[in-house]
Amino acid sequence: MGGEVSPSFTAYFLVSLVSKGQPTTLHEGRVRAMVTETHSIHSESDPQMRLLIIEDDRESADYLVKAFREVGHVADHASDGEEGFALAESGDYDVLVVDRMLPKRDGLSVIGGLRDKGNRTPALILSALGQVDDRIKGLRAGGDDYLPKPYSFAELLARVEVLSRRQGGPAEETTYRVGDLELDRLSHGVTRGGQELILQPREFRLLEYLMKHAGQVVTRTMLLENVWDYHFDPQTNVIDVHISRLRSKIDKGFERPLLHTIRGAGYMVRDGMK
Amino acid sequence: MTAIGKLFRTTAFRLTLAYLLLFALFAASLLVYFAWNTHRLINDQITTTVDSEMTELSDLFARRGLRGIVFAIENRALRPGANLYLITTPAGQSIAGNVSSLAPGVMATTGWSETVYRRLDDPDSSNHRALVKVTQLSSGFRLLIGHDLEERRRLFDIVGDAAKWSVLIVVVLGLGGGIFVASRVLRRIDAMTGTTQRIMAGDLSGRLPVGRSGDELDRLAENLNAMLERIEALMTGLKEVSDNIAHDLKTPLTRLRNRAEEALARSSNEAEYRAALERTIEESDGLIRTFNALLMIARAESGQARGNMDNFDAAEVAQGIHELYEPLAEDSDLTLTVRTTAAPLHGNRELISQALANLVENAIKYGKPGGVDENTDGVEAAAARDLVIEARREGEQVLLSVSDHGSGIPEADRKHAVERFVRLEASRTLPGSGLGLSLASAVAKLHGGELQLDDNHPGLRVTLALPTAAAEGLAGQTGNVPQKSA
Repeated sequence: MGGEVSPSFTAYFLVSLVSKGQPTTLHEGRVRAMVTETHSIHSESDPQMRLLIIEDDRESADYLVKAFREVGHVADHASDGEEGFALAESGDYDVLVVDRMLPKRDGLSVIGGLRDKGNRTPALILSALGQVDDRIKGLRAGGDDYLPKPYSFAELLARVEVLSRRQGGPAEETTYRVGDLELDRLSHGVTRGGQELILQPREFRLLEYLMKHAGQVVTRTMLLENVWDYHFDPQTNVIDVHISRLRSKIDKGFERPLLHTIRGAGYMVRDGMK
Repeated sequence: MTAIGKLFRTTAFRLTLAYLLLFALFAASLLVYFAWNTHRLINDQITTTVDSEMTELSDLFARRGLRGIVFAIENRALRPGANLYLITTPAGQSIAGNVSSLAPGVMATTGWSETVYRRLDDPDSSNHRALVKVTQLSSGFRLLIGHDLEERRRLFDIVGDAAKWSVLIVVVLGLGGGIFVASRVLRRIDAMTGTTQRIMAGDLSGRLPVGRSGDELDRLAENLNAMLERIEALMTGLKEVSDNIAHDLKTPLTRLRNRAEEALARSSNEAEYRAALERTIEESDGLIRTFNALLMIARAESGQARGNMDNFDAAEVAQGIHELYEPLAEDSDLTLTVRTTAAPLHGNRELISQALANLVENAIKYGKPGGVDENTDGVEAAAARDLVIEARREGEQVLLSVSDHGSGIPEADRKHAVERFVRLEASRTLPGSGLGLSLASAVAKLHGGELQLDDNHPGLRVTLALPTAAAEGLAGQTGNVPQKSA
């Protein structure tokens, strides 16, 4: 970890360690990587987001507001359902972070009410109820993502940034490009520097998801949910192994790594450092 | 409560009393009916004979006058067991007959009446009663004809006695029987109460006495015993769980606390603080995983997940999990293969996937061939590194299994291994919450199936045996294609 010292409490998140696909050992639990560069776990190229946090627990809310500000976003706070609904309706937010159980008005009802009024601001539901049924209920009520408590801020940030990007709604492109890596979603062909890469179907979907969110941090849980459609928490580092296989196919033998490990958060596909 | 009081309060005794009352009433009303009818019959007989004699004698008086009737009366009065006869002058003087005295005023009124009388030929008959009829003859003479009611009285006495005795016998027998039955029931209930009180006091191993008669109390006792068995198992389970929670959650919590404390006391630069914080977060993540697993098990065990069930093919689940874990197995120097045939299931896909994932994770963690088999050649060694996920239908069951060639679990430990937090000694050093098999078992139970642990010669085969979906619609959807991993 070198002597890297960062003054803020988000240092843990801000220091990311980019892996070049060093040989990994399973039993260390996490893919260990060499420190090569330092940059933020959230995408620097992302514009600033305006967030509304509807959360009744003062301390959690303060923590979130502060943490989002530290990474350069603007976060407002509402401490109950009514206030949250009013703010969300009038304010121009990029993403809502809504606690499920709120005083005065339940989180799901806040989101449902907004949807009924035609407000489509992406909403992420935070809940102590982490079970499959509850998640489905949350998504049915109009939520766009669901994160069970306790969560890590890195996970929340990654999900919120992905949601915010979604709102921009760029037309679904048929080809994703990151640096000299190209993925054709129609022909399922992947090339790097004009050289064709042979990927397994699942590796293709994994890369597709990563490239769709290029420049954004994607967590292991997000990958498991979106690429494999599983919502449980594996006790082993299955995802890391898949990533390291993918990495050996797309980065091995190339000078500039594109698939980066973001320490304490997840992975990111991006074209080198600026 | 005294013993007698207790006896009187038993249902058996109260029922006996109720029946006793009912039977006594029945007997009494039977006797009353009998007595009343007899009374009527006797009266009818008397009135008929008296009436006919009255007609006869009135005729005689009309035809032959006073002399004729007196003669006839004296003649008839001498017969043994005769009726009562009396004829009087208009002044009230008796002329002939076998009655020496009557209750005053009897002769004054005509028609039927009951009276005490005394016979001429039997001075002791003073207490006897008779049913008499008085008729006014022409020229003021009065004729009385009657019949002794002694017979009727005796009959009544007999009936009364019968009533008394029968009621007495009914009461005595009934009470005796009631007390016998009640005390017998009471003894058994007391035994049960004693046992239940011991159980309430904390001795869950107590069981109710079961007789050999197989009657309703025995059946009740058997059922209660079965219930106690279940409660004891649950309580033991709960106790173990809380002990284990205390251990498995307190241990990492203590580590967490110690590390934080140590970091506060010892760390001199930020790098050290950061390292301590990182370990703290890792430790918390582990705790969260354990909590999640516990919640999931509780949820599966309480049946809450039943709402989220649909039809799917277990073969797809097996292939999906194989696809997810195959690289991990390869990294651990194991070969994960999957063999599937169509196996239609109705259930919670997410939970079954997770259960299977847990089994595969266990197999990857513990399924490496033990170091003892040094003498195996290369081919055998390769076979020993095979992990197999299998999904198939066998009769009414869908079998989802994961087999390895690791050190396995000794037969004696297998049942134990499914319990929560149990990590067999060999695995203590590897990471994991020890909840994987418990969750798989809870999921199997939720679907009405079970988790089976078998010997894989060598190694372990863990099978989720679940009832197949009733609908046949899914069969044949997935081809019979054994897949070999790449």
